[in-house]
Amino acid sequence: MFLLRDCGRRAAASLGRRLPLRRLGSDSAAPCGARFDVVVIGGGHAGTEAAAAAARCGSRTLLLTHRVDTIGQMSCNPSFGGIGKGHLMREVDALDGLCSRICDQSGIHYKVLNRRKGPAVWGLRAQIDRKLYKQNMQKEVLNTPLLMVQEGAVEDLVLTEPEPGYPGKCRVRGVVLADGSTIYAESVILTTGTFLRGMMVIGLEMHPAGRLGDQPAIGLAQTLEKLGFVVGRLKTGTPPRLAKESINFSILNKQTPDNPSIPFSFLSETVWIKPEDQLPCYLTHTNPRVDEIVLENLHLNSHVKETTRGPRYCPSIESKVLRFPNRVHQVWLEPEGTDSDLIYPQGLSVTLPAELQEKMITCIRGLEKAKMVQPGYGVQYDYLDPRQMSPSLETHLVQRLFFAGQINGTTGYEEAAAQGVIAGINASLRVSGKPPFVVSRTEGYIGVLIDDLTTLGTSEPYRMFTSRVEFRLSLRPDNADSRLTFRAHKDAGCVSPQRYERASWMKSSLEEGISVLKSIELSSSKWKKLIPQVSISVNRSLPVSALDVLKCEEVDMDLLATAVPEPLQKYTADRELARRLKIEAAYESVLMFQLQEIKEVQQDEALQLPQDLDYLTIRDVSLSQEVREKLHLSRPQTIGAASRIPGVTPAAIVNLLRFVKTTQQRQAAVMEHQTN
Amino acid sequence: MWRGLSALAARAARVPGPGPPPTLPRGPPRLRAVPRLDVCSPTPRRRCGGDAGSRAPGSTIFALSSGRGRCAVAVIRTSGPASGLALRSLTAPREPPPARSASLRLLRHPRSGEPLDRALVLWFPGPRSFTGEDCVELHVHGGPAVVSGVLQALGSVPGLRPAEAGEFTRRAFAHGKLSLTEVEGLADLIHAETEAQRRQALRQLDGELGQLCQGWAKTLTKALAHVEAYIDFAEDDNLEEGVLEQVDRDVRTLKAALDSHLRDARRGERLRSGAHVVVAGPPNAGKSSLVNLLSRKPLSIVSPEPGTTRDVLETPVDLAGFPVLLSDTAGLREGVGAVEQEGVRRARQRLEQADIILGVLDASDLTSPSSRSFLDTVVAPLVAQSPNRVAQRFLLLLNKSDLLPASTPAGDSAPAGLPHLLLSCRTGAGLDGLLQALKAELTAVCGDPRTDPPLLTRARHQHHLQSCRDALSHYQPSADLALAAEALRLARRHLSHLTGGGGTAEVLDLIFQDFCVGK
Repeated sequence: MFLLRDCGRRAAASLGRRLPLRRLGSDSAAPCGARFDVVVIGGGHAGTEAAAAAARCGSRTLLLTHRVDTIGQMSCNPSFGGIGKGHLMREVDALDGLCSRICDQSGIHYKVLNRRKGPAVWGLRAQIDRKLYKQNMQKEVLNTPLLMVQEGAVEDLVLTEPEPGYPGKCRVRGVVLADGSTIYAESVILTTGTFLRGMMVIGLEMHPAGRLGDQPAIGLAQTLEKLGFVVGRLKTGTPPRLAKESINFSILNKQTPDNPSIPFSFLSETVWIKPEDQLPCYLTHTNPRVDEIVLENLHLNSHVKETTRGPRYCPSIESKVLRFPNRVHQVWLEPEGTDSDLIYPQGLSVTLPAELQEKMITCIRGLEKAKMVQPGYGVQYDYLDPRQMSPSLETHLVQRLFFAGQINGTTGYEEAAAQGVIAGINASLRVSGKPPFVVSRTEGYIGVLIDDLTTLGTSEPYRMFTSRVEFRLSLRPDNADSRLTFRAHKDAGCVSPQRYERASWMKSSLEEGISVLKSIELSSSKWKKLIPQVSISVNRSLPVSALDVLKCEEVDMDLLATAVPEPLQKYTADRELARRLKIEAAYESVLMFQLQEIKEVQQDEALQLPQDLDYLTIRDVSLSQEVREKLHLSRPQTIGAASRIPGVTPAAIVNLLRFVKTTQQRQAAVMEHQTN
Repeated sequence: MWRGLSALAARAARVPGPGPPPTLPRGPPRLRAVPRLDVCSPTPRRRCGGDAGSRAPGSTIFALSSGRGRCAVAVIRTSGPASGLALRSLTAPREPPPARSASLRLLRHPRSGEPLDRALVLWFPGPRSFTGEDCVELHVHGGPAVVSGVLQALGSVPGLRPAEAGEFTRRAFAHGKLSLTEVEGLADLIHAETEAQRRQALRQLDGELGQLCQGWAKTLTKALAHVEAYIDFAEDDNLEEGVLEQVDRDVRTLKAALDSHLRDARRGERLRSGAHVVVAGPPNAGKSSLVNLLSRKPLSIVSPEPGTTRDVLETPVDLAGFPVLLSDTAGLREGVGAVEQEGVRRARQRLEQADIILGVLDASDLTSPSSRSFLDTVVAPLVAQSPNRVAQRFLLLLNKSDLLPASTPAGDSAPAGLPHLLLSCRTGAGLDGLLQALKAELTAVCGDPRTDPPLLTRARHQHHLQSCRDALSHYQPSADLALAAEALRLARRHLSHLTGGGGTAEVLDLIFQDFCVGK
């Protein structure tokens, strides 16, 4: 029986830590009228991160999910990370999120992509053991202080009068479950993924489901629509699963993992499994026969014909065949786990009727005798136009209601996790009346992701690409901790002491290392003698610093330390430090100049617009109707965000400056009030 | 931006000039001491207002801040941390002037040393300046050659770039230098500025230079998209072999094209200067007669037959002391032959680009379908613009007043409520009134400070093309591909100042159009 009385937050927090950790199953007494700071609906990648982040910030948090045993389920690909996505994971980790640490305990094939293309675009990636990931994630979630878990289907939201001084036509106070019970909450986070009016599609068959075997959420979808949220529809798909022993791997290209493995988390020195114990992946290709089967059976494939927007990049074999005919496409055969009999054929996402899927599979090299264990299927689902949220992921319409993950039109575990952390932190900060924690485009991929969503919206499933990121050279996987951990510690309090210490040590070591490297200056001929393989022109008359030498492609810290052991030897002991010094050196000159641009963007982002401005009705300001509507929809928080909305003119921006003044005056008034 | 350092280093090596004088404490030494990226920790967010003095360096902008037309003195302003450097570069080798007092100096081009003008220069160190940043004002002789020369000289100083619309205002606001009412007053001005820049851009894109820029932008966007695709997708997906090799070839070709363009200084001179006055109206209203009358020469063929003028004819004229480019256009009507239709298309295009539109109607034929259609589709939207938003100026002329019965009171048959002028091109009646009205409009258009004159446009062109070329020289395909892509991104951004486009959405569109990527 769970009986936390509605005592003050601080008291509750300390009480919560002392309470034995418990899981509220559906069998425990109905917590009718139970009260929490934050309630998270959904136990997927967004939901788990959101719930854990809110709890880390000190909020009493409840995670509500249909089934506890699906928490941490990887419902599609058995992998995490990749190009751009690996960046997001590093940033989630820098905010002390879960998925990177869990992946370091659950991977079965670690490989960094883009190795030859520069450390700014390295893509950390791993095949993950589904079962292990789920186990480890559930262990983590069920043992997080202040975080409770309960099974239940949410049917409705409890709404009350809005708080004055904030935008929004009402305020969320809690949720109503399918059994009629009510749970009260100060903030609510919705992370329902594809479950809002989810429909599964195989061939011409369609039936309601969020994922194979799971019920969709229909009541909630209706509530949101009634509240006036703009809802759109998207589609996605997943490939069939194949029986491992039925595949002839011997004739296929084998891909081996990296040695050594690079972990995802800043806290992991290594991953849990040795490279030699990791499982390989295999590569095969489609052929003209696959094209034929797809084209001959288009009439049996309603998912492909539907007008619902799928992504322009091609996740399904049908769209590949239709958009790029007469080509051969890659199919990666990926392991699903150390003790799993399944293989995930990445690149073969398909919605043909099951028997045709099998026919198609068996004409692929290596899969001639493959047995299909589960067919591929498509999912169509509702998403909410993300322009209806502020960058804290709180909705404009309903106060204290937050959305994260696929419900916002994104695709991918990492995109979901990134939003989850931000929503969790902000739901918690909102409860304690603190200003929101927003990552800017100049600070992280998370900032780019959320700014794109909230200012531009999306009409196809949004996936992170490094090409979306303006300041790609400074927002690297290696330095996510220096970008985010300190702010997260200071402004959100969501970072463990251990992580904070590690990040602080790394930051000061890097600074010290760089200044030491700069201080070592020798003539170029001296360098040439010390390191013969270095490509420095001997004719340079000015002395050359060790930092400049480190910029050369063929030089790393180890080599440099053999040439100048004192004082450089000590910077090679920590492998990560040595690697990061090399990366800092490589980008130093270019970044010096990018800093100016970053500053300009940050200046515009410091000009904040008031949140309760009604753009449609404000008078005495010459904004065209078109601009008014755009501003009304996106509700930009800053002049910077406003100027990124297409169609908002420089003149409109100058007109908006006066409202910045209003915000500044209000903030000054609040400050004055506080100091008195 | 890379150019900044290298050019500065080169300068320092050539001219070991005097150290920074006491009046200009923020010369090159400060520039060299650009704060090192502090192990990538983002700088703390800066709240605006108040602390202008401690503000981090941003870029430095320059613009012509007096009107175009024939003024005796033109004022050119800069704002930003490199203002001091700019002033010293142009006034070397003499001592820079003391703060806040006017001094006479010979301005020279910092690269060639060629004398440009003897000018009054003023130095306003921040925060006590118009924008709150370091500012310089150069009062030069108003001739186009001088102004153009000084603007180009400024563009060649490292760290300086032409200002975008409204940028001076935003900087002033960010430093608490503008009151709310001033900001509101400026919004309309910036609207005019933006509109003028847009029209100026349209005019150029119409011409040979515009087409060149568009072509380069297209090549560059494609090259960038292919490198981006290679970064974001190459390892998961089978991009065709040779994508990067093709990019290398394209970049080499582009560099050569830009080099040859930048070497040929004459190309920049082909921009047409003067206020654009476009004569438009339905067929046979007497547009060509009006043009001939205003230009005092038989430029256009005049005949009683509708549709005589089929192309845009333009002529530079001097109207009331202002340089004007006067365009005669084909009569606007639908459903005629292919040649005339093309003429109509060009006429509409030219209307878009006009500063002042002279709408001509036949006073004796106001109810005809072609007159009505002109009133509805062209005149109505122009008149609907609120009077304080100075977008395009418009005068409605009712020609052939000599054909009106003498008993008709003037304007009786005119379209309801529209201000207009009665005119007879045949007799010359009403011409004085027209010239007076035109003079008022031209004064407004040309006297409008900081609307983008062709001179500044030329400096802008040179600046961005040169910067684009400089960025491309940092493209090294063999090393770090993220760095190579950065060079292309920067180059494309410079071109987008001239052509627009090149944003993330466009790049992604190209990637998905050209490659089968994703999983």
